[in-house]
Amino acid sequence: MSAEPRQKPAPDPDLVDVLAAKHDSAAFGALYRRYLDRVYGYCFYLLGDHHDAEDVTERTFLAALSSIADFRDTGAGFRPWLFRIAHNQVANALRSRTRRATSPLEGVAEPAASDDPAAAVSSAEDAHRLRHAVASLSEDRRQVVVLRFVDGLSAREIGMVLDRSEGAVRVLQHRALRDLAAMLGRR
Amino acid sequence: MNQQQRTAAERLDDAVGHVLDGVAAPVASSAAGAELRPLVNLAGGLRAALVPPPVAPRFEARLGARLSDVSRDPLGWALGHPGRLIVTGALGSAVGVGVTAYAVWRSGRRAHRLQHR
Repeated sequence: MSAEPRQKPAPDPDLVDVLAAKHDSAAFGALYRRYLDRVYGYCFYLLGDHHDAEDVTERTFLAALSSIADFRDTGAGFRPWLFRIAHNQVANALRSRTRRATSPLEGVAEPAASDDPAAAVSSAEDAHRLRHAVASLSEDRRQVVVLRFVDGLSAREIGMVLDRSEGAVRVLQHRALRDLAAMLGRR
Repeated sequence: MNQQQRTAAERLDDAVGHVLDGVAAPVASSAAGAELRPLVNLAGGLRAALVPPPVAPRFEARLGARLSDVSRDPLGWALGHPGRLIVTGALGSAVGVGVTAYAVWRSGRRAHRLQHR
């Protein structure tokens, strides 16, 4: 564990909208518009299916709306709170799922094409291989990779979502990247 | 604490943070150390590969409308939360008991009046 002094977290940029939504649920729309893409991305990369991702995204926002009045500003922020709900909904969906996705992560836009067609094909193939490698990671490592790279959460925020320490999340991230490198034969 | 005393996981996390902020992987990996360079480069690839998937506009509109309906509908609001459901049920019962008691009292008074005519 690091012995560095703990940095004071930045103020939660969502707090104004969260406070408005606590008193007037119609104000929840601003938070919905801000986080729909990211929650959907999280669900999609963990479930590997657009239909399931829509279903779980819907449950997440309905659950968040119904409990927004109970949100307490303890310094943790709204983002980890929302993704914690999404995490629980994804876990429920994975538990109740009778089949495992066999061809996950289709339907994702490839990275922007470059002027060099060969490089563009190589880049698209690399992206495809990377996404499949991510889908093969163990669930806890995949969670960390998706929350970090798709949703842009910090190690501290991911720790709040997954109920782990910041240090444990960093170790999981390190191991996930090592696993991916091994799968892709980069090391 | 200098760079060497920090764990590899901490140095890698810092470098990944820089990559996610848009810093080129070779630049981000310079502070992380040579042994982490392949992983930081891989992080750059992940950033490009794991693009957020597009949300279907129809789904976005449907869910937006549903959230808007739930926030306007007191029953839906109550049904969405067990605590609220209990409070709503208790209030509903109290109103029901009050109305019944009033009706019984009114009919009792009417019967009393008819008896004395």
